[in-house]
Amino acid sequence: MVKSSSLAFAVLFAGLSGTALAQDKPTLTIYTYDGFASEWGPGVPLKEGFEATCNCTVNWVAADSSIGTLRKVQLEGESTEADIILGLDTAIAGEARETGLFAEHGLELSHLDLPGEWTDAQFVPFDYSHFAFMWDTDTMEAPPASFEELIALDDDIKIAIQDPRSATPGLGLLLWVKAAYGDRAPEIWAGLKPHILTITREWSESYSLFLDGEADMVLSYTTSPAYHIFDADDHTIKAAMFEEGHFPQIEVAGILKSSDQQDLARDFLAYLTSVEGQSVIPTTNWMFPVVDLGADLDPAFESLPQPDKTLTLDEAEITANSAAWIDEMLAAVQ
Amino acid sequence: MPPALIVSLPLVGRDQGWGWPRQVAGILTMLTLPRRPIRVASAAILTLAIAALIAAVLWAILAAATDASGGSRIDIAHLLRMTALQAGLTMVLSLLVGTALAWALNRLRFFGRDLVVGLFAAAIVTPGMVVAFGLLSIWGRNGWINQIADTLFGITFDSPAYGLSGILLAHVVLDGAFAARILLARLDAIPQSRLKMGQSLGLSAWKRFALIDWPALRGSLPGLGAIIFLLAFTSFPIVLLLGGGPANQTLEVAIYTAVRLDFDLVGAVRLALTQIAVCSLVIVVASAFSPIPSALGRSVQPRWRDAAPVRALQWFTLALGAIGFALPLVSVLYDGLGAGLVRVLGQASFWWSTLTSISIGASSALLTLVLALVLALGRSAVEHRVARTVLNIPAYAYLAVPAVVLSLGFFLLVRASGVSVSLAAPIVVVIANSLLSLPFAIATLGPPLDAIMRTRGKLIRSLGLSGWHQFSRIEYPLLGRDIGLMLALAFCFSLGDLGVIALFGTQDFQTLPLLMYRALGSYKTNDAAAIAALLLIFTIAAFVGLPRLVERIAHAPRR
Amino acid sequence: MLRADNLVFAHPGQRTPYRFTLEARPGEVTAVSGASGSGKSTLLDLLAGFLQPASGSLDLDGLALLPLPPERRPVSLLLQADNLFEHLSASENVALGLPRDIDKASARERIAAALAEVGLSGFETQLAANLSGGQKQRVALARTLLRDRPVLLLDEPFSALDDETRRTTRDLVGELTRRHGWHTVLVSHHADDIAALASRHYRIVEGKLERV
Repeated sequence: MVKSSSLAFAVLFAGLSGTALAQDKPTLTIYTYDGFASEWGPGVPLKEGFEATCNCTVNWVAADSSIGTLRKVQLEGESTEADIILGLDTAIAGEARETGLFAEHGLELSHLDLPGEWTDAQFVPFDYSHFAFMWDTDTMEAPPASFEELIALDDDIKIAIQDPRSATPGLGLLLWVKAAYGDRAPEIWAGLKPHILTITREWSESYSLFLDGEADMVLSYTTSPAYHIFDADDHTIKAAMFEEGHFPQIEVAGILKSSDQQDLARDFLAYLTSVEGQSVIPTTNWMFPVVDLGADLDPAFESLPQPDKTLTLDEAEITANSAAWIDEMLAAVQ
Repeated sequence: MPPALIVSLPLVGRDQGWGWPRQVAGILTMLTLPRRPIRVASAAILTLAIAALIAAVLWAILAAATDASGGSRIDIAHLLRMTALQAGLTMVLSLLVGTALAWALNRLRFFGRDLVVGLFAAAIVTPGMVVAFGLLSIWGRNGWINQIADTLFGITFDSPAYGLSGILLAHVVLDGAFAARILLARLDAIPQSRLKMGQSLGLSAWKRFALIDWPALRGSLPGLGAIIFLLAFTSFPIVLLLGGGPANQTLEVAIYTAVRLDFDLVGAVRLALTQIAVCSLVIVVASAFSPIPSALGRSVQPRWRDAAPVRALQWFTLALGAIGFALPLVSVLYDGLGAGLVRVLGQASFWWSTLTSISIGASSALLTLVLALVLALGRSAVEHRVARTVLNIPAYAYLAVPAVVLSLGFFLLVRASGVSVSLAAPIVVVIANSLLSLPFAIATLGPPLDAIMRTRGKLIRSLGLSGWHQFSRIEYPLLGRDIGLMLALAFCFSLGDLGVIALFGTQDFQTLPLLMYRALGSYKTNDAAAIAALLLIFTIAAFVGLPRLVERIAHAPRR
Repeated sequence: MLRADNLVFAHPGQRTPYRFTLEARPGEVTAVSGASGSGKSTLLDLLAGFLQPASGSLDLDGLALLPLPPERRPVSLLLQADNLFEHLSASENVALGLPRDIDKASARERIAAALAEVGLSGFETQLAANLSGGQKQRVALARTLLRDRPVLLLDEPFSALDDETRRTTRDLVGELTRRHGWHTVLVSHHADDIAALASRHYRIVEGKLERV
C-alpha cells in the first residue's frame, strides 16, 4: 500500500513538475472558477488556441468559485502567481475594483456585441447571459410572465434558487429583484417565500433538483436551454420571459497589477474577445459570446427567446448596498 | 457444555466486568494497568501537536486580516439556538435509529447481511450531496414513494425531505446508519458465555436487551453521540440543500459567509472560536459520561432467537431501515449505472482522478491509523478521567474547526512556509483528511483497546510484557477487524471529501468528488451521476472488503 | 518464607480496614478461605502489587516486596478464568512467560518441556479458545513454570472445572509446588481443595486472617 501510493505521488509530482520544467517559455497563470477550467469548460480549447500563437504556456488555476479567485489573490497579495483573474461578474466587479489590484487593460473593445455599451477600463467581458427561471413543458402548461404572476401561482409550484452569499446567480436574482422593484423588493421576496423549495449553495445543486423534477422552476440563465437542445435535441426546457425585464450576468476578466507579464496578459484578453476565442464559449460555457459570431453561433442558441428589456444597476450602488440587500432578502424569506 | 456448567458461570464476576461495580473498582486501583510511559508521552505530544496546528491555522488567518472590517452581521445567538436544536434532534434520533437497527441486525441472519452492513456504514463517508440526492429520489416531491402513491392511488404526499424534517431525515440517514454499524460491532462482541448464560436463564427479549445488550452499548453511546452532534452541528451542504433556506442554518454557513463574501477574517475566526468552544463543551460532557467499555472482539454468537413476534419486529425494523437508508443509496447506483457510465469510463480524466483519489485515500488512511493508534493506545494506558478527556479533545477538535477556516489557514501556512502551493496540495489534503477521520478512527479503535486493558491489564502487567509485545501479540491480532474498519472509514472519507482543497485547486490535482462537482457544474448530470455511483461502489467495496482483509493479515502469521 | 505483616488496606467508603498477617512456606500450599466479599481478592491484589497497603510489610526471604510494581514482584498469578489469550495458541500463551531475549530454539525446547510437565505434550499449536477449562488452567501453569517465580497466587483456580479435572489439576498444583519449592497461596472456599492441598489454612474473619 505504501509503495503504490508513493508511486502514485511520484507520478503526480512528475506531472506537476513537468509543467514547471518548461522554463524557456513564459507562463501565463490564470485564476478561474473550476467549471471554467474543467475538461468540459472553455479552458481547454482556449489554452490550445492561445498557445498555438503566443509561444507561452497557459496555466489554469481553479478555485471553487469565482469569488474564491478574488479572495485567493487578496490573500496572496503582491506575491501572487496569478497574472489574470477570469470569471468575476459585474455584480462583484465593483468590490474587486476597490481592492486596487487590477491594472487597466488598454484594449480597444468597440467590436463587442453586448446588451449596453462597454466602457470599463479594467475589466474585459467574455460572455453573458440573462438570469431567468427555467420551466419544463412536460410538467407546466404556461410559465409565469412576471415575478407577480409567479407569486400568484398556486403554492404547490416550487422554485429552487441559490444563496446570494455563495452563488453568483443567487446574488444575480437579488439584484434582478432590486433593479425591477426597488424598495418593493422585500414584498416580492415575501411573496416568493411559499414557492421556495430550497435555497442551495451552488447553482448546480438547484439545477439538479429541477432536472430531477423536485422543483418546478429553477433560477438559471436564458442560455441554459441551449445545452439541452445541443446535447439531446431536448426542447422541453425553456426560460420564462418576465415583463419586468431581466438582469444580466456579464462575466469578466482582469489583469493584475502585480503581474510581470502585462503584455502577454493583454494578448490573452485580446484573444479571449476575438472571434476565434469567442467561438468556443457558447458550447462550453453555455453563455452568449460577446462578439457577433454570425453563422458560427451554434443553432441551439438561435431559437432562444431574449428579454425585451435589460435591467441594470449602478456598480457603485451595488458595491455600497449589496450586504444590506442580502440581509433584507434573508429577513424576508426566513 | 453440560447445562450445570452454563448456569454456574458467574453473573457478576471477574470475567468481563458486568456493568458499573467492576469498572468503579478498576478506576480506584491505580496499579492494575501496565505502565506505558512511551505510549502516554507519544499521545500527549501528538495531542499538543494537533492543538498547535489548529492554533497556527487560526493565527495565520488573524495575521492575514489586515483591516478588521465592520462588525459582523450575524446573529450568533439565533444561529446557536437553531444549530443546537437541529444537532440535538439529529443526535437523539440517530442513536435511537442506530440502536434499533443494530439490535435487529445482531439478531437476524440472512444472505447478504454483510452487504447490508457495508451499505449502512458507507452512508457516512459518501459525499453529503450524493446521499442528499439519493434521498430525494426516494422521498422527494417527485421521488419513488410519491410516484408509486400517485400511480396506485392517485395521491401524492407533501415531501418530508425539505425544511427541518429534511435536514433531520438526511442526517439520520447518514449518521443513524453509521451509529448502527458501530453499535452492531459492540453487540457482536458480547462474550459467548454471557449469551449462553442469558439463554439458559430464558431471558425475555426485553430483559435480554436490558441486561446483555445495553451494558455493551452504553459505553459507546456518549462518544458516538458527540460525533453525531458535531457532524450535524457543522453540517453544511445538506443543511443548505434540504434546509429550505436561511431559516435553518448553521454557524458553519455563517463562517463561510464571513470568509468568502464579507472577507471578514477576524469575524470568521471569532465565529470559528465560538464553534470550537461549543463543540469542545460537547466533547468534555460526552467524555465525562462515557464509561469504559469491557467487551472486545467478535465472538461466535450462539443461535439464540427471540420470540416470533419480536423477530417480526426485527424484520420490520430492518425493512424500514432498508427503505430509509439503503434505498437512497440503491437509487444512486440505479441512476448512475446508466447512460453516463460508458462515457465516464472512457475518459482519461476519470482514471487520473481515480488514481489521485485512491493514492490520497490510501495515504490518509495509513496516516490516520498511525495517529489513531498513538492516541488510543496512549489513552488506554491512562486511568485518570481528566487525563483521558484531555487526550480525547484534539481528536475531536478538528471536527469543530470549520472546513473553510482550515482550508484558508492551511493555505496561508503553506504560503508562509514558502513551499509551492501545488506541491503542497496533496500533502495538505492527506493531513487534513487524516485529521478529519481521526474522531471516527478513535471511536472505532478506542473502545476495544480500552477493553483489552481493562479485562487483561492485570494479566499483562503481572506477566511484565513489553509495550511492543503487548501490541504485536495481543492488541494487533485482536483489533484486526477494527483496524480494517477504521482504514475503510479513513479511506472513504478521503475519497469523498473536497472540503480543504478549495484554495489549492489546480487543473492537475483533481479527485473524484471534484470531478463530479465539475461535471455537475457543466450541465453533465449523467456523468456526475455515474461518478457518484462509482464513488459509492468504491466505498462499499472498501467497507465490506478491508475489515476482512486486515483481519486475515493480522492473524496470518499464526495460522 | 513469604511474610505479610499487618498489611492495612481499606477501599473507599470501607469503615474497618483489612489487616492481613500471613506466612507461607516454600514447597507448601497455604490456603485462605472466607465468605464472599470477605476480602480474599483484596488480599491477593495486595500480595501481587495491584493494590498498595496503607501500612505494614511484605517480604520474601528478606526481600521487601512492597516497593516493587506488579510486574517485578516474584509472583505468578492463576485466576479462575481469563488466564490465557484466546486468539493465541497454547505455546504462544506459554511463551509470554519467557524472558524477552531468549533464542528461538531454546524457547521452543523450554515451552515443550513445560507443556510436557503439565501433561499437555502435543497441544502446542492448539488455539487457547479450543482448549477445555482444565487444559487452559494447565497451560497457564506451564507458563508459570517458565516464569519460575517463587510465589504462586491462585484465585479459585479450580472452581470452573468438573470433579475429575479438578482433582487432577489440584494434584498437579500440589506436585509442582513441592517440586519447585513455590510459596503457593490458594484462595478457595472449597473445603475439599483445602483439605487435599493445604498444609496451612487461614480464614478471613472481620477483615483479619485467622489461622485454622
